[in-house]
Formats: sequence, C-alpha cells, structure tokens
Amino acid sequence: MGVEVPKIDFKKIEGKSPGYYAICAIWLVICLIGVYAYYLQWIHGHQVTGLNNQVPWGFGIAAVCYFIGASAGSLIVSALSGVFEKEEFKIFSRSAAFFAAAMIVAAMGAIFTDIGNPSNSINFLIHFNPTSIFSWNAFLYSSYFVVCFVYLLAQFEEKKFLTRCIAVFAVGWAVLVHSGTGGIIGFIYANDFYHSSLTPPLFIISAIASGLGLLIPTYILTFKWTKREYDINLLWTLTKIMGAMVILLIYCFAIEGFEKGYMPSSHEAFLKMITEPVTPVVYVYWIGQVGLMLLALAIMLSPFRKTEVAMITSGLLVAIAVFCERYTLVVPGLSYPYEVLAGYEVVKPFHIVPYYPTWVEWAIVLGLLAGVYLAYCIGIKIFALLPEKAVKIEEVKKE
Amino acid sequence: MISRRKFLVLITASAAAIATNKALAFGESKENEYKSELSNYEWGMVVDVDKCTQCIKEIMEKEGIKDIEKIEPPCIRECNKANNVPNSDKYYYSLIRIYEVREREDAEPLFFPVMCQECENPACVQVCLTKASYKREDGIIVIDLHRCIGCRYCMIACPYNARRFLYDHPEENLRVVNPEAPIRKHGVVMKCEFCLWKIDRERAEGKDPKPVCVEACPHKALIFGNLKDPNSEISKILRTSKVITLRAHLGTNPKVKYKL
Repeated sequence: MGVEVPKIDFKKIEGKSPGYYAICAIWLVICLIGVYAYYLQWIHGHQVTGLNNQVPWGFGIAAVCYFIGASAGSLIVSALSGVFEKEEFKIFSRSAAFFAAAMIVAAMGAIFTDIGNPSNSINFLIHFNPTSIFSWNAFLYSSYFVVCFVYLLAQFEEKKFLTRCIAVFAVGWAVLVHSGTGGIIGFIYANDFYHSSLTPPLFIISAIASGLGLLIPTYILTFKWTKREYDINLLWTLTKIMGAMVILLIYCFAIEGFEKGYMPSSHEAFLKMITEPVTPVVYVYWIGQVGLMLLALAIMLSPFRKTEVAMITSGLLVAIAVFCERYTLVVPGLSYPYEVLAGYEVVKPFHIVPYYPTWVEWAIVLGLLAGVYLAYCIGIKIFALLPEKAVKIEEVKKE
Repeated sequence: MISRRKFLVLITASAAAIATNKALAFGESKENEYKSELSNYEWGMVVDVDKCTQCIKEIMEKEGIKDIEKIEPPCIRECNKANNVPNSDKYYYSLIRIYEVREREDAEPLFFPVMCQECENPACVQVCLTKASYKREDGIIVIDLHRCIGCRYCMIACPYNARRFLYDHPEENLRVVNPEAPIRKHGVVMKCEFCLWKIDRERAEGKDPKPVCVEACPHKALIFGNLKDPNSEISKILRTSKVITLRAHLGTNPKVKYKL
C-alpha cells in the first residue's frame, strides 16, 4: 500500500477569443509606446530623462531592482512544490517559472535601456571586474535565465527528481541573484543612505512580496478568463505569505529608518526626506510605500479578505508599494547632498535636487512590464503552462 | 516546424553560451602588468585653500557677484576649454566645482575646488562593470571611452561627486575643440584626469608637466607634482605643511590634498 499523487494535467489555453486578442493588443500597444520612448532616448541621449549629474540613477534602476525581485519571487513560488514539498502548489510551478524567466529578461532590458552607451554594451558581457558587485550580477542574471529555462524544461519532461534538484538549486540561485542586486546599492559606502547590510535580505523579502503581488491577480484573472476551475484557498495561502512578507518589510524599513535617523550625519537629510515635500520622495514614501502597504494589510485582515476582489486589490497594492520602496531606496540617497569637509558646513553647492521621471522613463518601464505580460499571454497559448484545474489535489491511496 | 523541446533547448543553449562566455572572461589576464616608465611617477595635487579663497573673493568683488555658482574662475574656464567640456545651462559638466564652506554661520567662507581626487583606493574603479575606469601606474584614474557603457555606477560610488555623465550631444555645446584632448560622445562618463593628454606630452618632451588648471591659477594655489620625487615642490609641501583629504574616513586615500 502506498501513496500516490495524481498527475496534474497542464494544458495550453485555446487563445482564440476576441478578449484574448484584445488583451494581447493592449500589451503590444504599451510595448510599442515603450519602444518609441526608447528610440527618442537613443536619438537624443539621456537628456529626455529627468536625471542629472547629482541624481544619475532613477526610475530605470528602480525598475531593474523591481523586475529582478519579481523574478526571484516568482521562482520561489514556482519552487514551493519542489523544495518545500507543498504538492498543492505544483499547479503554479510551470507558469511561475515562465514568469520568472520573462521578468529576468525585462530586468536585463531595463539595464540595457538605462545605460547611456548601448553600442558598447557587449563590454558588459566580455569584460569582468571581480571587485564589482554589478559585474558579478551581470554573470548571475544571464546564468539565472539559463537556470529558469532548465528548470522549466525539467518540468515539461516530467522528471520529478531532476525537477526537485533543479528547484533547490534555482531557489538558491534566485536568492543569490537578488542578494547581489541588493548589494549593488547596499555596498556603496560613500553614501549613508545606501550603505546598509540590511539591503540584500530586504531585497529578498521585497522580491517574494512583489512576485506574489503580481502573480496573485494574474492567476485569479487568468483562471477566471480561461474558465478554469480553481481553489480560492490556494490563492489565499499565497496571499497570507505575501501579507507576512509585507509585515517583515515594514519592520525592516522601520529599523533602517531609525538607524538612518539616529546617525547625526544623516538624520537631517532623513528627516527632510520623510517630512518636507522638497522632492516627490516624501509622497512616494508615505503614500506609495507605507500607505499602500498598510492599506494592503488592512484589506488582507478585513472580513472580505478571502474574496477575489480583495486578493487582487491587495496583490496590486503590494506590487505598486514595492516599486515605490525600490524608488525610495535608489533616489533619496542621491537627491540629498552629503558632507564633504568634516567640521565645516557646506554652503554651496548644497542642493536638494528633486528628480521627476519623465514620460519617456515611465513609457520604457511600463513597456518592459507589458512585454512580460505579452510573453505570458503568448506563453500560456503555446506551452502547457497552466493546469486544467487549479485545485488542491487530494492524495489517493494506492492499493 | 520546430518542436517545443527543441525550442527550449535552443534558448537554453544560447543563454548558456552567453553566460559561459562571461564566466570565461573571468580569466582575463591583467592588462599592463609590466612595469613601465609611468611607475616612476605618482601624480598628486595640493590645494592651498587660503589662496583659493582669496582668488574667489577678488573675482566676486570685481564682478559684483556674491553667488559662487555664478562665477567661473580661471581654473574652471581654462579646464573647460582645454578638455572639450560642453557648455550647458541644464547640466553641470565642468570637471572642477568650487565649494563654499563655513565653520559656522557667521564665519568667513572658505572656497576650494573639488575635482576627481585620484584616490589610491578608488571606489569608481572598484565598481566599474567593464573595467572602463582604471588606475594607471602613475595613479591617474582614467576612463576608457571605448569601454564605458554609461551605466553611471561609478558616479553613484564616487564619494566626491566628481564624475559627469554626458546627457546631451556634447558636440552641439562646444565653444572650441581641442583635438589633443578626448572628444566624447553622449552617454559616457567623464572626469578630471589631471589633463593626462598634456602631462604625458610634456613629460615626453622633458618638461615639468602641469595640468591646465594649475597653469591657469593666477594665485598659484594649485601645486601639482610627482609624489615619488622627494625633491618635487609637492613633496616638500607635504613634508612641511599640514594637509587634509576630503572624507578621509572612507579610506579612499585621495592624492588631492587641501592645505587649510
């Protein structure tokens, strides 16, 4: 007598309805607007962005961190069945791995569109600087894409042991990739706002939160629109994991905030950042990051928490809040000048330089996100990524 | 028609090829390992803050302008011209920036220039993805414009905000072009390199090399020289005067020093 887990039937979607084509068309149009925006940047240079020589990183780099995070988060969801033996989550394993691969491509796209000299971008691949955390990440990103695809391939081939082994490796690699991304910012010792050993672990927590924030609405809407039977309790479990990550995020940010505020060299800048509307950061921080996270938590704790609308809304709020978090990690440290000569007060040039992303930066980032969703729409049509029934599979006793 | 399996295998193999190529690049041999004549030099600069302050005050008085950001002292003006630095109203491109500091609100201001500090442990070189920023044997930090991808990570890492990114087309905003100095395109990073095009030429000609700003300074507030030569003017000053470096606690050990 033994226990057997029934095989899950993964099927392609038909993808012939006008609704399907309409959704694809919307993503395509957003992608094309993004391509046009990038064309303008290519022709005119980065003067079409809101960046300057005090704030040389902005929306684009926040998007890089975000996409990598969403990718790592998706892969962790995908590996829940393989690594933690949560067989009920196997229904998500293929689509989440595909999503992770698409997100890492978007992340690399965000890096490519952000660099000023793309004609030299091949140097990114052929020259390696072992002391640069970003250079290590270039290796980690490209290899991570390979890991995602091998993992997906093992799943398609139904090799259970191999899938489990690769899942363990892939989760480890995802953690490494995203910790490395956190290190890009956290290891910058010249900037008090950046320098923090908390950033890499914080990135992992944000990654799981934002990955789930995007996946939960995507799954609910996909299952609904493709008329698949699904178990809301499975998605509720994912929502609970997301909620736990949001609580952890708020905790870590509070700790980091107190630490920055405690240090005399940075407390004035930190207080200005969170209280004075000199730059848009104060709104992004209070409304975008803290406000949306608390609102999402309130929805997740409300009596309606187990409804589809509540889960979709809280997922989207968390997804946006994590983007705002990335923004507040990247921009304020540059907007606020730092002390140059200890013991002296710098009178000039001491500017708090506001940074406002232009429509070009918005269009490029949204175009990349739309590209991920377009790839997802096409992927679920040409590959058997989605389960026929997204329900918890009961174990059956084998005679 | 290509099968799903073949498609995935192809994609995986292509990405693996890129990743492997990257990994292979890890074994890239160190460039310029040989000791050349350049290793006899270690260029450094001492800024006499009192003389700088005097110069700026004189210009302020003469021009009737009290705002340091509206003043272009000779060091900046000549540096911009000689190094093909574009003139822009929107972006601050000059490789030198004059800082105004006070010990307290009612104290007399001090003025001094901040340019690339040519650190012994440069954060920019440490973080550069492609090794486009590198340290020459004579200690000058150089940007290889053919290698720079314009990611601006060096600007983020620089503790002195000494690097500039070319946001617009520089050729549109150049008043004069010096063919001897680098002519850059938009999308790359630039910085003060102690006018290496000039000092290399002058060194080859057997002259005492000096960057443009040092020559342009009417008060001789900038002292440039070889730190490895005990008889150089800069070495003598460093032996006899008290100098400080900016943000010394970071351990970057700049070779631009300030005499207060």
